[in-house]
Amino acid sequence: MPKRRDILAIVLIVLPWTLLITVWHQSAIAPLLAIRKDDGVDGKREAGGQVQDSKEYCASDKDIVEVVRTEYVYTRPPPWSDVLPTIHIITPTYSRPVQKAELTRLANTFLHVPNLHWILVEDSQRRTTLVTRLLRETGLNYTHLNVETPRNYKLRGDTRDPRIPRGTMQRNLALRWLRETFNANSSQAGVVYFADDDNTYSLELFEEMRSTRKVSVWPVAFVGGLRYESPKVNAAGKVYGWKTVFDPHRPFAIDMAGFAINLRLILFKPQAYFKLRGVKGGYQESSLLRELVTLNDLEPKAANCTKILVWHTRTEKPVLVNEGKKGFTDPNVEI
Amino acid sequence: MATRMKLKLKTVFVLYFMVSLLGLVYALMQLGQRCDCTEHDLPKDRTISRLRGELHRLQEQMRKIEATKQPQKQPVKPSPPTIFVITPTYARLVQKAELTRLSQTFLHVPQLHWIVVEDSPHKTPLVTDLLMKSGLTYTHLHMPTAKDRKLQEGDPSWLKPRGVEQRNEGLRWLREDRRAQPGGDSQHGVVYFADDDNTYSLQIFEEMRSTQRVSVWPVGLVGGMKYERPVVEGGKVVRFHTGWRPSRPFPMDMAGFAVSLKLVLANPEACFDGDAPMGLLESSLLQGLVTIDELEPKADNCTKVLVWHTRTEKPKMKREEALQAQGLGSDPAVEV
Repeated sequence: MPKRRDILAIVLIVLPWTLLITVWHQSAIAPLLAIRKDDGVDGKREAGGQVQDSKEYCASDKDIVEVVRTEYVYTRPPPWSDVLPTIHIITPTYSRPVQKAELTRLANTFLHVPNLHWILVEDSQRRTTLVTRLLRETGLNYTHLNVETPRNYKLRGDTRDPRIPRGTMQRNLALRWLRETFNANSSQAGVVYFADDDNTYSLELFEEMRSTRKVSVWPVAFVGGLRYESPKVNAAGKVYGWKTVFDPHRPFAIDMAGFAINLRLILFKPQAYFKLRGVKGGYQESSLLRELVTLNDLEPKAANCTKILVWHTRTEKPVLVNEGKKGFTDPNVEI
Repeated sequence: MATRMKLKLKTVFVLYFMVSLLGLVYALMQLGQRCDCTEHDLPKDRTISRLRGELHRLQEQMRKIEATKQPQKQPVKPSPPTIFVITPTYARLVQKAELTRLSQTFLHVPQLHWIVVEDSPHKTPLVTDLLMKSGLTYTHLHMPTAKDRKLQEGDPSWLKPRGVEQRNEGLRWLREDRRAQPGGDSQHGVVYFADDDNTYSLQIFEEMRSTQRVSVWPVGLVGGMKYERPVVEGGKVVRFHTGWRPSRPFPMDMAGFAVSLKLVLANPEACFDGDAPMGLLESSLLQGLVTIDELEPKADNCTKVLVWHTRTEKPKMKREEALQAQGLGSDPAVEV
């Protein structure tokens, strides 16, 4: 008799614990283990890759290095993933001789980025055939919009005057399109980035911005008359200021290419737009960001804002002296 | 004694049972609630995107291995001719940006071998790292330009020819490398001189792949015009449409032609002449290789612009220079 009771007691004690442990194991431990496992697997793969490459080194000539690599070639964008947040890239553009060249090399960059949605907004009365055809031929996932900046808002005289913000109406149109197209409640995860058509972007930048929760920031090269401008990040990983010479006391002393916004934030704050009129030079970015986020909420990327992943390059205006007044070349040939 | 012991044991058991039951109930309650999973999500997302990249790379690798079941040194006959792109480059602020976006274009082109020649007495870590991370097939060379042939600060860009020694070094290496690799297939290829600030569409590489001797096409935004191009009649180049000195033997830009590897190897002395007068650099090479009626017109009989001679502005560094004068310049360890 006592034996049975003992057994019963033991069973009654052990059973809840086993249940508890199984449940706890499934919910908490498994994900942690998985991440650790993945890192281990990745490390192995990378090590394997390196070993392969070193075998193919030309051992004869130390001075000249020839490396033969397995090719990483995409002629079409990578397949769409249901898991990765979509990066919505808003690019304002306008017709000028270098437009097709700029958009071509920008497309060549974007074709490497998975889950990318390009929103190209032309500063024109109608969508031009040049851009329509270019977008179609790239095979990218895109949306083609257009809005013409009224003449009195357009650049007056010197095109390099930074006080007149260019592309504002186009960017606002894209924001409005996003708000009309995506529902705040059931939207797929997304990140919004404003990419001008003459800058240079590394592929790493897009992976850094994908994990944006509210607004993420990073350094940008060749802006503000410096090698680079960058947010100041303290030891706790929070942004507390701006490392710039030009007006560092702006609410957000950052270039258009230096931040990305989570789509949900755009949708939750439908009144936030770039200010059109009365914006001081360099304050355009602040006019949008101050309605969305505070300094404390900013997420620093690019290794706590120590790496340069985007360059504010500008393309020279080509000197077309030999065209003359009537034009020397056939205007039907598209450039 | 015995009963007390029994009682004690019983209470212990009961207590133990109650505690474990409570614990189980608590855990089950926790299960039902939502957790703040965002901390888990971020590393997960990063891992996922990294893994996807890895997956694509491995899939590509598998496909290659399946297609050519032979070791790397003996390419299979049906593989397309390799395009050898020779790019001279030199250190300046926008160098990394230019090479980055150039590599992003080249990554789309199959069978491309990038020969980067630095104008420097030694290889710089910036270019070395960039090439290593690019994922491209490349050769990294260097060849410094003699001081008297170099452009000084403030010199206009057309004063002295640029990139001559570097392109010649690229040709020299190519000839030496091909001589070391016997076999008919290693002679198949096309040589293209691509400057690091131009813009290339992906189609131009497919157009030049079929070059037998020297192929030509229009170049946009060059020669003070919207585009320069060879004029084609009856499938042959008859003259050149250019606004500047059309009397040159080959009034074309460096980006407007490609030479077949066979021709380069068959003429081991052919190279660019650094002493050639302005605008005659291209002619100095092509004169020894081909005549005008042997030129092969591409890009739809030279009616489409598939490459643009873009130039990048020099970034304004006034504030940086002012800061550096005060000793407060930006961290030089951060590579730009």
